[in-house]
Amino acid sequence: MLKMKSVSKTYRTDMVETHALREFSLTVGEGEFVSVTGPSGSGKTTFLNIAGMLEELTSGTYELDGKDISSLNDRERSKVRNEKIGFIFQSFNLIPELDVFDNVDVPLRYRGFNAGERRRRIEKCLDMVGLMSRIKHYPGQLSGGQQQRVAIARALAGEPRFLLADEPTGNLDTNMAESVLDLLSEINTSGTTIIMVTHELTLADRAKRNIFVRDGQVSDGPPELHFAAAANA
Amino acid sequence: MFRYYLRLGLLSIRANPALSALMVAAIAIGIGACMTIVNVRHVMSDNPIEHKNDVLYHVQVDNWSPDEPYEEPDLPPEQLSYLDAKALYDAKRAFRQVVSFKSDRVVQPAGEDARPFQETVRATTADFFAMFDVPFAFGSGWDEAADQSEERVVVLASGLNEELFGGKNSVGELLRMNDETYRIVGVLAPWTPVPKFYDVNNNPFEEPERLFLPFSLAISGEFGSNGNTSCWKTVGDGGYEAFLASECIWMQMWVELEDATQRQEYEQFLNAYVSEQKLLGRFPREMNNRLSTPAEWLQNRDVVDDHVSMLLSLAVLFLVVCLLNTIGLLLAKVMRRTNDTSLRRALGANKSALFSQYIIEAGLIGMAGGLLGIGLTWLGLQGIENLYAEYEFIKNLVRMDWSMIFLAVALAIASALGAALYPTWRACSISPATTLRIQ
Amino acid sequence: MELGPIFRAMLKAKAGYILIALQIAVTMTIMVNAIAIMQEKNDAIARESGMDEANTFAFSSTSFEPDADMRSLVEEDLDTIRNLPGVRSAVASNSYPLRQGGWSEGLQLEPDANSSDSIGSAIYFVDEHGVDSFGATIIDGQNFTPNQVSFKDPESNTWPAYGIVTEALAKELFPEEQTSVVGKTIYLGDNDPINIVAVIDRLQAPWQSWTGVERSMLIPQRRLGTYQTYIVRTEPGYRDELMPQVEELLANSNKGRIIRSMTTMDHVRMRAYLDESAMVTMLTFIVTLLVIITGLGIVGLASFNVSRRTRQIGIRRALGANKFAIMRYFMVENFIVSSVGIATGGILAVLLNILMVNAFGLQPLSWYVIPIAMLVLWLVGQIAVAGPARRASNITPAIATRSG
Repeated sequence: MLKMKSVSKTYRTDMVETHALREFSLTVGEGEFVSVTGPSGSGKTTFLNIAGMLEELTSGTYELDGKDISSLNDRERSKVRNEKIGFIFQSFNLIPELDVFDNVDVPLRYRGFNAGERRRRIEKCLDMVGLMSRIKHYPGQLSGGQQQRVAIARALAGEPRFLLADEPTGNLDTNMAESVLDLLSEINTSGTTIIMVTHELTLADRAKRNIFVRDGQVSDGPPELHFAAAANA
Repeated sequence: MFRYYLRLGLLSIRANPALSALMVAAIAIGIGACMTIVNVRHVMSDNPIEHKNDVLYHVQVDNWSPDEPYEEPDLPPEQLSYLDAKALYDAKRAFRQVVSFKSDRVVQPAGEDARPFQETVRATTADFFAMFDVPFAFGSGWDEAADQSEERVVVLASGLNEELFGGKNSVGELLRMNDETYRIVGVLAPWTPVPKFYDVNNNPFEEPERLFLPFSLAISGEFGSNGNTSCWKTVGDGGYEAFLASECIWMQMWVELEDATQRQEYEQFLNAYVSEQKLLGRFPREMNNRLSTPAEWLQNRDVVDDHVSMLLSLAVLFLVVCLLNTIGLLLAKVMRRTNDTSLRRALGANKSALFSQYIIEAGLIGMAGGLLGIGLTWLGLQGIENLYAEYEFIKNLVRMDWSMIFLAVALAIASALGAALYPTWRACSISPATTLRIQ
Repeated sequence: MELGPIFRAMLKAKAGYILIALQIAVTMTIMVNAIAIMQEKNDAIARESGMDEANTFAFSSTSFEPDADMRSLVEEDLDTIRNLPGVRSAVASNSYPLRQGGWSEGLQLEPDANSSDSIGSAIYFVDEHGVDSFGATIIDGQNFTPNQVSFKDPESNTWPAYGIVTEALAKELFPEEQTSVVGKTIYLGDNDPINIVAVIDRLQAPWQSWTGVERSMLIPQRRLGTYQTYIVRTEPGYRDELMPQVEELLANSNKGRIIRSMTTMDHVRMRAYLDESAMVTMLTFIVTLLVIITGLGIVGLASFNVSRRTRQIGIRRALGANKFAIMRYFMVENFIVSSVGIATGGILAVLLNILMVNAFGLQPLSWYVIPIAMLVLWLVGQIAVAGPARRASNITPAIATRSG
């Protein structure tokens, strides 16, 4: 259960103050697959950063599994991030010097598992994304779709309760994008809550619930989407 | 986790070979330059008789001119006149006392075609060997009776024994010097105290004399001084006798005093002696007696060359440049890896995990720099030895011991860690959100 | 010019630039002081001893037989040497310039004066061949005559009444004297009067690091100790063949003595200034290494800056900047950093120099060392940054349209 209430985020530079989120409220229940859409600059990424505890919020409350996490210090936040949240990025963000195994290993290392447990989890996740055969390859030797699968394996290795995806198919061609989305749906079916930020409305359709962000607030949704929904109905 | 960070460090070093090599080289060169000079200075400022530092004292009394001090600011002469050396020695008021001076003899080896050669000798008293813990290979020194009776005996250093007798036990053999025959009573084991603490008035880094013989014998044989001799009055007519009776200073005196009481008593004795001499018309200056421990004496005589101190200050600055260089490069590396850092943070690494990772990487670079630095220090010392090849004593100054090797590595690692602090701090403050923004 | 925007952009990522500026500053500090030390050493090395060094050699003779007749031995030795073809002149003395060990006495204008008023001078005991053997030139007065030369046995300590002084010593003794000091009397030690018979141009004391190194006096006396030092001046080109010849002749003429320390004056000079020349070599090495390291540091940071700004540079190119403008950007950036470093370094260098002057009695810095060091470091900076700047100028403008 993820619950944000009246969350605001303000960026201050020397001269300007930008309100990235204002009075943003959202509740995401267990096992949901939520898409977040909105025009660029609407606050999608800020929302994701705050949801993933990559950034602190300026005001409001944020509860994760019933626990207020806005008051946690860096060490505790890192721990929550490591245990409960998995990330998938548009540009995969694999570490080029590490092979596939070691890339998936990164969050497990910070978790403090022993070697056997880490190996078991890495192999299980790579098997799930269908890349066991590439375990010794380096990111540069993989296609974009394969890289994103490795990134998904990495996100899943810690068995997180929440998966945060930021334009996960933005750098992929249509075929690859499809297979990645299939994989996400499959993961969601097995119980992991997924929040996916995207600006492509067609992708958003794969989610069970759509949220539209505009000017840092949850809005009623764009007319196009209503139109698409109406058309489907 | 430590091994994981070690692996990450190695990976990162491998990923930027040029940058890493530059950092290792900068640290190594800085350490090499610094340690070369530190090493020379360490040897120069060593105290080879440290284990007896609390019982040995160098004796000074001020018999100098009424018009000006021997040395500013009002320091007594560093050596004694024969008059005072003899009187203080004969009084036997310390547990042990040694007077000595440097002279020379022409050694005439046995055999028709053997060519005579000149050697510096040390004329000294029986306690010299026990007082300075001089190691013997064969035989021993002479005893006080030999001092009294001006016995014609001699102790050879190991090197000279090697040259003259092929290193065998030559105790009991005879040795001709200046057409006189001496009986060998002892042969030293190799002994090269650096600096030559018992007489720093001449070159403190040259080898000890290779011949030791009784002081009384040297005086009755009218041995001249081969060391520094200073006079504030012209010596009158009368040759050697007149020289002995003069105020010229050319002898060194050391006493061994076992505790504070003995030391105090000896000070009182010196004061009494000088007061008595004043009544006889000597010692025109204020009472200015000194008892210095070996450490104080070496410090006082300033045996460390000014050039070495000058080079050291430049070498330390040199290391600073190398470290600034390393800080800059590490910072560049951290900035280049912003993405990686931020990603690890997003995946759950806390600040201390990242700190450990970067510090271990810097430690690795420091270690490599230190090891290479030891090599460069060795090269540096070779270079110095070459530059000064003309000075025979230089080989005494370019030695490297374990403490210096350890210091080199420790300094390298400390430098690398010090240099890594700021860049690592910068790395730790990279926000985990950066990874989402930079796309 | 674009100085303003470049400077403002630098302020955004100041740490890296501050580090380079600091590095340049410390490099400058070391460089300036190292040059100052080298200059002082080189000046010392360049001083002339006054001798005809290229054509002179020296050696010593130690007699070890008791009761050796030193007077006739020295006379025979000198006769032998002086009669060899190629020998210009020879003398038996106690020491020679650059030898480190010698005899000094205090000289004063009045007898029995306070000894703190006396002027120290090196003493060389010679005969009438001394001036020529030492390669000195008489600029005033007359050389010793043979009958002024006395012999001193070890039992007496009387001084002859004549002396020849160097010009430097004469000036020190008689600073006011405008005409000639020849004929004046000075007192040696307590009250031995010495009549100045001549002034020579130059002859250094044996201790080259002594402040009074130019003050020497020749005394016409042969001291008959068992230890004698001979100085032999040859005609040009004869030195090397004469050395073994003399050694052989003298060693064979008397078995009761040893001939040692046979050495050319060139070698004596090399040995005397070994410390100075080694110091110059070491400092040259340090400065060279330092400039290389600083240069590499600049290359490293500039390369990093170029790769960090690849996209930005591409955009600039797309917006119409030509290659030269991109290069100039990095060159100007380096110029600004260097200037800050050099200015700071100049101040630090002077401060360190003051410290060194106080601690080690170094000569103060010559003013022109600082501008030279500035120029060198500016140049090094520009050369170091040229490579990365060229790489930057070769970045394709197409980068601007690529994403990611």
